[in-house]
Amino acid sequence: MAGAIIENMSTKKLVIAGVILLLFQVFSFLVGGLIAPSPTTAVHYVATKCVDVDKHHSDWFMPWGLKKCDKIHDFREAEAMKVQANDIVFALHIPPPDKEMSPWFQFMLVILQFDIAFNFNNQIEEGAVATIDVRLGYRDDTVSEWTQMAHSIEERKLSCNFTAARTSDNEGRYYDCELLPFMEIGSVAHKYYLLNIRLPVNERKKVNVGIGEIKDIRLVSIHQNGGFTKVWFAMKTFLTPSILIIMVWYWRRITLMARPPVLLEKVIFALGISMTFINIPVEWFSVGFNWTWMLLFGDIRQGIFYTMLLSFWIIFCGEHMMDQMERNRFTVYWKQIGPIAFGSFCLFIFDMCERGVQLTNPFYSVWVTDVGTELAMAFIIVAGICACLYFLFLCFMVFQVFRNISGKRSSLPAMSKARRLHYEGLIFRFKFLMLVTLACAAMTVIFFIISQVNEGHWHWGDHTVQVNSAFFTGIYGMWNLYVFAIMFLYAPSHKRYGDDQSNGDIGVNSGEDVQLTTTVTHVDGPTKIYRMARKEAHE
Amino acid sequence: MTGPKAYLIYSSSVATGAQRGIEECKYQFAWDRWNCPERALQLSTHSGLRSANRETAFVHAISSAGVMYTLTRSCSLGDFDNCGCDDTRNGQLGGQGWLWGGCSDNVGFGETISKQFVDALETGQDARAAMNLHNNEAGRKAVKGTMKRTCKCHGVSGSCTTQTCWLQLPEFREVGNYLKEKYHRALKVDLLKGAGNSAASRGAIADTFSTISRKELVHLEDSPDYCLENKTLGLPGTEGRECLRKGKNLRRWERRSCRRLCGECSLAVEERKAETVSSCNCKFHWCCAVRCEQCRKTVTKYFCVKKTAAGSTDGAGRRKSLRLEKRQ
Repeated sequence: MAGAIIENMSTKKLVIAGVILLLFQVFSFLVGGLIAPSPTTAVHYVATKCVDVDKHHSDWFMPWGLKKCDKIHDFREAEAMKVQANDIVFALHIPPPDKEMSPWFQFMLVILQFDIAFNFNNQIEEGAVATIDVRLGYRDDTVSEWTQMAHSIEERKLSCNFTAARTSDNEGRYYDCELLPFMEIGSVAHKYYLLNIRLPVNERKKVNVGIGEIKDIRLVSIHQNGGFTKVWFAMKTFLTPSILIIMVWYWRRITLMARPPVLLEKVIFALGISMTFINIPVEWFSVGFNWTWMLLFGDIRQGIFYTMLLSFWIIFCGEHMMDQMERNRFTVYWKQIGPIAFGSFCLFIFDMCERGVQLTNPFYSVWVTDVGTELAMAFIIVAGICACLYFLFLCFMVFQVFRNISGKRSSLPAMSKARRLHYEGLIFRFKFLMLVTLACAAMTVIFFIISQVNEGHWHWGDHTVQVNSAFFTGIYGMWNLYVFAIMFLYAPSHKRYGDDQSNGDIGVNSGEDVQLTTTVTHVDGPTKIYRMARKEAHE
Repeated sequence: MTGPKAYLIYSSSVATGAQRGIEECKYQFAWDRWNCPERALQLSTHSGLRSANRETAFVHAISSAGVMYTLTRSCSLGDFDNCGCDDTRNGQLGGQGWLWGGCSDNVGFGETISKQFVDALETGQDARAAMNLHNNEAGRKAVKGTMKRTCKCHGVSGSCTTQTCWLQLPEFREVGNYLKEKYHRALKVDLLKGAGNSAASRGAIADTFSTISRKELVHLEDSPDYCLENKTLGLPGTEGRECLRKGKNLRRWERRSCRRLCGECSLAVEERKAETVSSCNCKFHWCCAVRCEQCRKTVTKYFCVKKTAAGSTDGAGRRKSLRLEKRQ
């Protein structure tokens, strides 16, 4: 075996391959940018204030349509009608009139915001908590009865501040209240949804007392755009076979060899598997079936891929380390893999706490209670620390590899010209790929940390990260191409150095060769560099 | 949608919106010499007198802002069937646009309808009409300019890898405050001189207005003296107006209102004590206040009155008002 394809490929071919990959990369950006709409849509709602005249708590209240409720425009009307706070129902129909929801929307989350007017005698108390009695119903045509999907009594902490002076002159102005996460469903299987929200008052139990003077409830629903879903599915459907084919090809090449596969080859294969796992468009089923766990499943798949990718980088560096340590075993890397595994595990637990529980109660959120917030924050901070630790390890290892390579360079002039040129080319290509990988790794980790630190909290105007489809499809395409390229370039080459060059390579230092076979069990490393590294380490 | 059918659907919202604008105008100018009297608020060209001063500019801006604001809000309440989902524009029928890429913002809808309704009142083609249209646009821009951008992260594990942002309608008071600032910095355009109705001058008018930022208020005339009553212009004058003087938490503008309304208009300030009955010690719920007590409170109010020669009338109140005047 004469090493990986990347070494035996001519520069010209390598450039051609690079250009083709680049074209695909540009294409994947264009697909998102030109064809797909924006990934998500936010729809604004103001809840309609219905009056529960007959005090029928099991009734559904419609904001508009055929059986619309008795509504009031203003709570001043309610005062005149002698309506009590407990008889007010905030009704919200999703979607707006004349529209239908669709399974193509994939998920839906709803955010709630109170419009609370300042009243000098009725201010929001410190640490006020709103207790919300909420029912979610659905139906699939405009005439049938509503079916209850969930009913829950939720508590949400109000964090509002009043920017103007607290004088009676400013009465009626609104508090600046933080948005509250309200609901999240992992599949949009029905056409119409109805939310009925009550804010029951119980003075004895101090329920909904001291929450100020609520004027309106505003809600924002966010769902994935159908067009984006379609483009995304199409992309996945296209990418799955391409990665699958290169994976099969790669594994066939490895099994054709006389020796068993080494660790690096196995890890590359595992990377391919995790990429395929993420690619397989099982989401197609979500269009036909009401699979609410799809959101959670998607998170898990992404998590597995990230973990695999991070592990791959560590092992890739380690296997190219030119020292005398015996590697090629997974256990050698526990120190580096450990933080990845632990960090991923933390995020998994956190995700299960949030999205796992949401499978049964769509109104649940980890962030609403103090304990939950602290716990969630703890998980995320631990994961962040793990990510930092990992990044330090990776940087250190890359530094070591580069140091070793430059150290070995000094012995290059002693070699024959043809051989030297060959090795210099190898080192260049290796360094080049290393730098590309490092750039990708750094970008991913930085992106990850930035996004995680701000987790669950709200971003106001100054945060201007544009979320658009081109970015999503482009990045997704990039990782697919990355995995594709690695499997292609690091597959063992069948081209043999039948000429003198290869013979000279080993023949000159035959004594070394003997030494190699005696001390290193796996002579045929995945790449020539790797082999050279071993050899020189023993010199 | 245009035509009479559209008019029926949106007219109540438009009326509510104009009313909202008027209320805000009254609030913003409560302690100014010009206090947004009802008369000023007839936007139509047929209202006889058409002034083109700073105040007119504000009235036009706040009204069109109010209409746009209310229409947007009505959309969110589900009052209209077709908010922001104008399928004809997408070129796709039957909610295909909604399914593929969602609908555009309700604000865009509010803006379009407001434009249709409010700007339609301006039928002329002279400088005044151009000014009013410009100020209507400034009002709509004010709504957009005060909107707040809000984002929500919902990626893997709720991380910010995926994020959705939207613009949020502010409280209408903020639009009012914003426009009041613009009112103070309104630009005067000198176009009235020799401006006929010829095509050439129309071109000149359009050119002039297109050079001014669409966020700014413009006016053509200087404001009249609002101190004095002017029957021909329909101005009530400041006599008899209330002003603010003492009291904590008053803004500078409010604290100086007596000097502005009375003193500078050669009127005296009169102090009147009044007893009011109001509800107090209420037990509040989040809606519909319950169980209040009635409290009597003596409040001191200040009013602008005509100056009288010293000594001709007696009474402590008069003397006091003179003393107050001296102190200013």
